[in-house]
Amino acid sequence: MIRWLMQPGVRAAVPISILLLLGFIGPLLMVTGYSFMPPRTFSLTGTPTLANFISIISDSYYISFLWSVGLAAITVLILLVICYPVSYGMAKMFGPWANLVTMIIAVPLLVSENIRLFGWVLFLLKNGIADGSLQYLFGIHLPSILYKVPAIILGLVYVYLPFMLFPLVIGLSMVPNAVKEAAFDLGASRFQVFREIEVPLAMPGILIGSLLVFVLALGSLAESKILGGQAVIMIADDIESAFTFAQNWPKGAMLSLLLISSSGCLIFFLFKRIDLDRIIGRR
Amino acid sequence: MSSEISEPVLQLRNIVKKFGDFTAVDDINLDIGDGEFFTIVGPSGSGKTTMIRMLVGMDRPSSGDIILRGQRINDVPANKRPTCMVFQSLALFPHKTVGENIEFPMKIAGVEPGKRRERADELLAQLRLPLAYYSKGVNQCSGGERQRIALARALAYDPDILFFDEPLSSLDFRLRKTLEKELKDIHRETKKTFVYITHSLEEAMVMSDRIGIMNAGEMIQVGTPAEIYDAPRNKFVGEFMGEVNTIEVERVSEKHVRSLSDGTEFTVAREPDNFERGYLIIRPEIVKIGRPAEDLPNRVHGTVFNDYSLGSRIQYQIRSKSDQYQWLVERLQDEPYEGKLDDEVYIGWQSEDAILVSD
Amino acid sequence: MSGFNRRNFLQTTGAFALAAAHGGAFPGIANAARTDELNIYCWEGYNSDDVLDPFRRETGAKVRAEGLTSDPDAVNRLRAGETKVWDLINLNNPWAREMMWPEGLIKELDRDRFDPMFNDMMPAFHAPYEWAMDKTGEHLLGMTQRFGPFNFVVNTDKISRAMGEDQGFNIFLDPAMKGKYGILTYDNWNIYHMCVTAGVDPFKSHSKAEIDAYAKVCKQIFNGAKLLTDDLVAMNLALINGEIDAYFTGGTYTASPARFDGSKQVRGITPKSGPMNGKGGIVWIELTSLVNNPNPSTIAEDFLAYVQRPEVSKKVAFAEGTYNPVTQMGSKEVMAQFNKDELDAIQWDTLEEEMSNSTDYDINPDYAEMYDIYSAAKRERES
Repeated sequence: MIRWLMQPGVRAAVPISILLLLGFIGPLLMVTGYSFMPPRTFSLTGTPTLANFISIISDSYYISFLWSVGLAAITVLILLVICYPVSYGMAKMFGPWANLVTMIIAVPLLVSENIRLFGWVLFLLKNGIADGSLQYLFGIHLPSILYKVPAIILGLVYVYLPFMLFPLVIGLSMVPNAVKEAAFDLGASRFQVFREIEVPLAMPGILIGSLLVFVLALGSLAESKILGGQAVIMIADDIESAFTFAQNWPKGAMLSLLLISSSGCLIFFLFKRIDLDRIIGRR
Repeated sequence: MSSEISEPVLQLRNIVKKFGDFTAVDDINLDIGDGEFFTIVGPSGSGKTTMIRMLVGMDRPSSGDIILRGQRINDVPANKRPTCMVFQSLALFPHKTVGENIEFPMKIAGVEPGKRRERADELLAQLRLPLAYYSKGVNQCSGGERQRIALARALAYDPDILFFDEPLSSLDFRLRKTLEKELKDIHRETKKTFVYITHSLEEAMVMSDRIGIMNAGEMIQVGTPAEIYDAPRNKFVGEFMGEVNTIEVERVSEKHVRSLSDGTEFTVAREPDNFERGYLIIRPEIVKIGRPAEDLPNRVHGTVFNDYSLGSRIQYQIRSKSDQYQWLVERLQDEPYEGKLDDEVYIGWQSEDAILVSD
Repeated sequence: MSGFNRRNFLQTTGAFALAAAHGGAFPGIANAARTDELNIYCWEGYNSDDVLDPFRRETGAKVRAEGLTSDPDAVNRLRAGETKVWDLINLNNPWAREMMWPEGLIKELDRDRFDPMFNDMMPAFHAPYEWAMDKTGEHLLGMTQRFGPFNFVVNTDKISRAMGEDQGFNIFLDPAMKGKYGILTYDNWNIYHMCVTAGVDPFKSHSKAEIDAYAKVCKQIFNGAKLLTDDLVAMNLALINGEIDAYFTGGTYTASPARFDGSKQVRGITPKSGPMNGKGGIVWIELTSLVNNPNPSTIAEDFLAYVQRPEVSKKVAFAEGTYNPVTQMGSKEVMAQFNKDELDAIQWDTLEEEMSNSTDYDINPDYAEMYDIYSAAKRERES
């Protein structure tokens, strides 16, 4: 035990472990603790109870859960379709231009998400940039998607694009050209090469991108608030309300716990089913 | 072995490939016979990889025709051609097992799983791989085993022509020697046409029925290993075959040439048509040293500068008295020669052993 | 200002962690010398450097001010032990009298010093001002400054002021308004106003029938809304661009930034009549109180006197982002600080009339139950 503790690796890991313990595990434990406290109390010293869980499942919170999960899933699918060709280009075709594309996509990340979303509001607003230009140029007036579900999806797709794109670029650049050429040379059609070779070999990138986007979108709030006019209430919105206006920390904590554990289960399940080592070819 | 081929399976007519202003392959004509083991040899940058990519269907020629059994196939993509290639990197599918790799072309062709398995087992046996390897991951296999898997996978496609893009180049010397011979054995067993590219003439000599030597996008010489060995067409081919002595010469009279550096005259048995000026190529192993050299028609006087042991033979470096040319001379270990370093000796050769080329 | 007007989840989560640590933070502050420092916990505005810097120069003190995000949150933090941290707390009117004074979280002010200051304020706030006194009427609990009616906001190009005032919150139940209004999600205010819309006085205990009436209005108002946002800038933009004609919950506080930018058609409306003893509008008044700090700062009361000065009053009224009337506008010197555009931004022309149609913000005893109904209606909204 002492010898184990004296290893340089263990000693080097101490600072980061303490940081993780304080900054990551600590709050998680607190959230867990609060979620079993009596409703509307503000300390961790009450008698543990399942009251919050029961009130959540007997109320209509499933609506927010379903919307969050559904919108997150749709965002992942749309981003896969949009980002696959772009990242293919960046990994295999654009050459030096790929850096420029990376810049163009990465630079907006320096601007706050809320400001970028507000920019979209100005663009989509009635008599805003899009509507106003169309009216001025063509005299047509299109129905606005602002404050509706499509606007939320637009916002999610826009905000989380880099989180799908960059893992995909890395995933696709891990696929050796020669391996694809070999499959093609052995008679496979372009689609068979895509299905049998490219997708399985790029799977680490595809998985990481999809998981990142799914988990981020699941906890998203600003897109529904700013672009969606809260046309739907996301689960993160419910959590925020519980902690603030409702002054019901235990309920908010239980909602957070349910959200964290459901995304945790999903990740666990995916990584169990899909053997990354085998994909990368380490085994 | 003869340079005549009976029935050509693959014919190249005026093949040109340009990348922008750069001409990678320049007007190549070539016939490859059915069942032949043909090797294209050239240094890196000679255009041989570009060449094989066009033959496989990965690239298209800028002009010219590729004809397979009488059909022009320029526009047929690689996956529709009855040919396939073993890649330099082998390009095994890392996410599939050995069995899945071998069965891949059959799966694509729609062969039923039972038949696929049967054929995969046959191929494993033919390539001296244990049958248990069927379910092994390809990245768990050694370099030599991976070579055999790649070959098995290509054979499973049952191609008319099998192309090889220097697959042995990353292996160590001994394993390469073993696999060269195995490859030649498999060629005999399968009776398929093999087209192999390599930068090593030695490798080509061991395996090939015929060899084509490429340089700077051009096919310099095509022939059997013996033809090329005996009669390199030019200085490039001569030097490419290994260490040789090359003397720049001009014609004096019929079968008489003179060194441009010191004016020494030599006789030759044959001279190319319209020969004016060129090179005399003399391979180290035909040069005699010491007493045996003294009666020969072509002689050079020099000093023994150094000696190098090459296993069964010894190589000497002799510095010519007149022009300081560094001659390489070889003799068998058991041939008598009493000389020591710094001795002054004669070296010499028979006129018919030297080769005269124009460029 | 009142309500959770800033979406600031992080800050709230920070408060959560802090409260959970039971006020163990800031030990250094608690034990430091207290003659040259002052810690203020306040709604945004008092924490602006425009307001604080002159005071810092005059006293040479280290003045720290933190913006708060909700009244109950702030009270929770004091309860959790942060009375050791803060010297002044600025909250909406009911909290001092109803909660903080009875719980011993705040201290009384020196009436001899501060009562005269009330008499310089607008007549309605002259001493003894009800919300500034404890229930016995003996102890002075804080000073007033910013206030404002808070009901709903319309685009007067679409809905006239007269129509809004006459119809009151009923305009949001009109089928013709479906899809033409937004809801500013200051949830606590919305709950009060939905009560008012249902004809129920929010500031009393409610019968089952009253709660059902409230629940029905909740659903109807959410289902008819075009958008929900907690961002007053976004809401004003939607109003100006014609996405919506009115928004539910708003007042001088939310309309003033748009009005000050020249969009005079944006206007807070106070209904002429309603269920609260005949009144239909609600007004909030901020009260700044002395925290019962065991180791008090000696300059806390000086700061309260400092902000009564005409030029400082003006800075508080026009601090950051939103603009509000201040009770000190009862004095000529303070009024002289404001120009016509500024007075127009805070709807000075109708302020007195709106105040007379309003009742004061108070505590809703059924808030928790009503909040659950409210959040369910929001979640189940048909969009």
